[in-house]
Formats: sequence, C-alpha cells, structure tokens
Amino acid sequence: MVSFIIDGKKVEAEAGANVLQVARKYGIVIPTLCCHESVAPSGACRLCVVEVKKGKRTRIVTSCLYPVDEGIVVETKTDRVLNVRRLVMQLLMARCPESEVLKDMAKEMGIEPQPAFHPDTDKGKCVLCRLCVKACEDVVGASAIGLSGRGKNKKVGAPFMEDSKTCIGCGACAYICPTEHIIMESTDSKRKIWGRTFKMQPCDKCGRYFAPVDQLKFISDKTGTPMTELAVCMSCK
Amino acid sequence: MKSIVENFDLFAPKLVDKEEYYSSGHRACQGCGEALAIRLMAKALGKDTVVTNATGCMEVTATPYPTTAWKLPWVHVAFPNSASVGAGVESALRVLRRKGKIADRYIKVVSIGGDGGSFDIGFQAISGAMERGHDMIYIVYDNEAYMNTGIQRSGATPFGASTTTAPAGKESVGNKNWKKNMAEIMVAHRVPYVATATHSHPIDFMNKVKKARKVNGPAFIHCLAVCPTGWRSSSETCIKLGRLAVETGVFPLYEVENGKYKFSPDNPPKLRPLEDYLKPQGRFRHLTPDQINIFRDMAMIEYNKVLERVKHSKSWSELK
Repeated sequence: MVSFIIDGKKVEAEAGANVLQVARKYGIVIPTLCCHESVAPSGACRLCVVEVKKGKRTRIVTSCLYPVDEGIVVETKTDRVLNVRRLVMQLLMARCPESEVLKDMAKEMGIEPQPAFHPDTDKGKCVLCRLCVKACEDVVGASAIGLSGRGKNKKVGAPFMEDSKTCIGCGACAYICPTEHIIMESTDSKRKIWGRTFKMQPCDKCGRYFAPVDQLKFISDKTGTPMTELAVCMSCK
Repeated sequence: MKSIVENFDLFAPKLVDKEEYYSSGHRACQGCGEALAIRLMAKALGKDTVVTNATGCMEVTATPYPTTAWKLPWVHVAFPNSASVGAGVESALRVLRRKGKIADRYIKVVSIGGDGGSFDIGFQAISGAMERGHDMIYIVYDNEAYMNTGIQRSGATPFGASTTTAPAGKESVGNKNWKKNMAEIMVAHRVPYVATATHSHPIDFMNKVKKARKVNGPAFIHCLAVCPTGWRSSSETCIKLGRLAVETGVFPLYEVENGKYKFSPDNPPKLRPLEDYLKPQGRFRHLTPDQINIFRDMAMIEYNKVLERVKHSKSWSELK
C-alpha cells in the first residue's frame, strides 16, 4: 500500500494502481473517453490529465497511465489542469464537430468550441482512441480492424479499407465506441458493419435471427462446440 | 438508417461495467429476479446516482441492520412516497448545482419501488412527480404481488394468480382482474421516456436504463421481476420465466420515446404457446383450459394494443 494526496485528501491505494482508478474510488470526477475496464488503458484521449508533484517537480500527466507512488501530490482541478483539459476538448470538438457525446461532455465541463480551430469535415465522429481496435483484439480475438495512415490521415478500419475477411460482425467495436462513430445497421436477416454485409443465423427453434453466421463459426472454431449446438438462440437454450 | 446498437449477443456482455454497486451477501431468496434487476440497474446507472427506495423486498433484504448491500447513496422511505422523496432530492441537488457546490458532476436521482409501492400505495406520489416533470427516473420492480409481506394481491397481479388474499378454490379462480397498465398511464402523463423491460434480457434492460439516464426530465421503466417464492416456481427457472413472459406475449417489451411506441428487438417474431409460461408456476396450477383461454384473451388484448400503437403512434413533434 502507498499513501499520497489527491486534491488535499490523504488516500491509500495498492501499489501499481493508476491515479485515475484511485481518484474515481474516492469520488473525484475526471472526464475520460478512452478508458474502459475490459481493455488496458492507453492514454489516447488525453482528457484525464492531472497535475502531479513528485519531489520538486510538478508536471501534467495522463492519470489513466500514471502509477501511484508514495508521497506524490495530485491536483485534479487546478487552473493549469483545466486549461489543458479545455484545449484537449476544443481540439476534439474541432476534429468531430457533429459528435453529440463530445458536445454533451463539453457542456457539462462548461467549455465552448474554439472558433480559431477550423472544424474537420472528413473525420466523422472518430477520436482515434483505439478502443475498438483493442476490443477486437483482446476481448473478441478476431483482430479484424486497425489504425492506418499517419498524422492527419490516420484512420480506423479494416485492412486497406476493404471488406475484412477476418471480421465476424459481432459488433463489439460499435458497442464499445465512446463517440458512436462506428455504425452497425441491422435488419432481420442482415447486418452491415465496416462496409460488409453479414448473413444472420436464424434460431433453429424459434426462428429469430440472433447472431451473424460468421460469428458462430468463429466461436465454433475457437471452442470446438459443433455448429448445431450454437444455432439455437439464448432464449431457446 | 440509423445505427442500431441494441441487438447484441455474445460479446457485449463481456464489455459491460465490471464495477458492482449492489453487492453480494444480501438476504434475497434463491433465484430472486428483483435483486438481479437492481444489480443490473445499478451497473447501468454508474456512480453518480442517488437511490430512493420504497418499502418492499429490496429494502428488507438489502439492508438488515447494521449491514447494507448498496454502494450508492441510498434512502429508504415509507411505502407510498419513494417518488416524492426522489423529487425532493432532485430539487435539492439542482439547488446545490446552481450554487456551485457540486459543479463538476451531474447526479441522477432514481426512485425504485415494488409493484405494491408503485401500482397501489405509491401511485399518487409517482403521478405527482412525473407530472411536475422532475429530472428523475422511476423504476418499478413488478413481481406481481406484495411478496415481502406474504403474497397478497396488488394492482399488478395478473388474472388467475392465486395469492393469499385472492386464493383459488371452488368458488374463485384467484385474482379476477388483469393487471394495471402502468406504462400506458405514464405515457398519459407525457413522460418523455417510458419503457418495459425484464431482468432476463440484461443488455436490453441496461440500455433502457442508460437511455433513461440521458433523458432531461422524468423517465419511467416497468421491469418485470420474477419471484420464485411468490410465483410458486422453482428458483432455477427465474431467468427462463422472464424470457417466457416475453416470448408468450404476456409481457411485451417496448419503449415510448416522446409518444412514439417502439418494439424492442428482443421480442420474438412468433409467440410461443401460453401454456409454456403458465405451467412452471404454481400460482396458475389450478387454471382449467377455459380459464387459460380467458387469460389468453386478456393478455392478447394488451399485446395487440401495443402492436397497434407501434404501427400508428406518432411522436409529439409530428403531431404539432
């Protein structure tokens, strides 16, 4: 256990925990976009910045990646922190002007868009937080999508932006996306995601379309369960 | 077409919040659907929430002195006034926010109650809170009778159910009326978001709670919660019965956003025979085939009413 100070409050935490986790445990609000329990933190959105004083040096760090240490002093609401957070938020809003999630967050934090930042038109609602890529890799295990390009051309998608053969259409990326950039369209028998249309499997017993055929094949290959057993929906099992 | 992020199976459960706000060790019965529903609700709501709880099973089992299962701020109030206390807490929070005392966060007030505390005793408090437009959610856990005090009938008890105050016998079929349509009453209050859910469709239920949290104004969720003790069914059938209630059409899942009805994707395309739902429950054991037909007619009236509304209802903005 290490003890340190957050916003003037003396707190204790397990060694190896991150500042963000500890702050949230003690009821201190730090806004985040790219933080999700199921995947490792990456510090992509930069909204969780805090000021950390260690020894004589004070600096701005991302709290989701900063491990706690004995005797550090963390400040989450100083002017310097709020300035950085405002700049990050304004840059994100300039990147994704139509994102409702960002607008709501900015309103909550009392931040107006910066008129000097020219809004992008071609980025959609993607903030490049990489949550979808990591969910596909770590949680699902399909590794169907990734980031490509550099700098302003960086974007998320299947390899070469073509129909991905490894995508199983599970929709985990659309579920985890914090800004609702990834769009999954479902009708009864078809599901469309990343530009590819998937055939849905009807339940053997009740006839309800419940999961993409490719997803069931993927699970069957991975676990060795025969397809006949998987072709029954959750309700009829 | 818009993005439909609701029909997820298999991988979405791995991505839901792992933090528990309603801990294990509470004293609810084996296979209690209500405790499960509350746990899912707390997960979907997250940390910045105040819960007010009417008297009922969930108050008795979750907080025997000196312990508590809640990890959220939680107020227990009398049987009738969960909604009015919720309204008061909401007003107080609004003032604190205006004064800058809790400037950094938005706190949602959620009032919960059982069917007795909502359909019968707490009804006028809910009606008032919803009509005044408080920024709060009311969630009713409907186990279809006063289970906490020993299975007395309530306004939510369906036709034919045998309860201790409406026992089935030579002269009586048990409860004689169909349950009150609470969701419809709330729609009539011009509540912007009304939904029905069950704990047996967890992703659907959690999405509805998350949606209700985002509403700026009142929201109402009617959650059917299976009670193995009162329904006289075995405890391992809890999840199954919740699903069967939806699949046989007894409890259709739908949501009403600004007056527009929408069927939830978890509803089956074809209804299963009603007997599948009635047979595992001891409270319907005495029903004769004729009485089952009466039950079916009553259930179908409600089901078809929803179907009609899904087809023909318009949102308020279209009706201007």
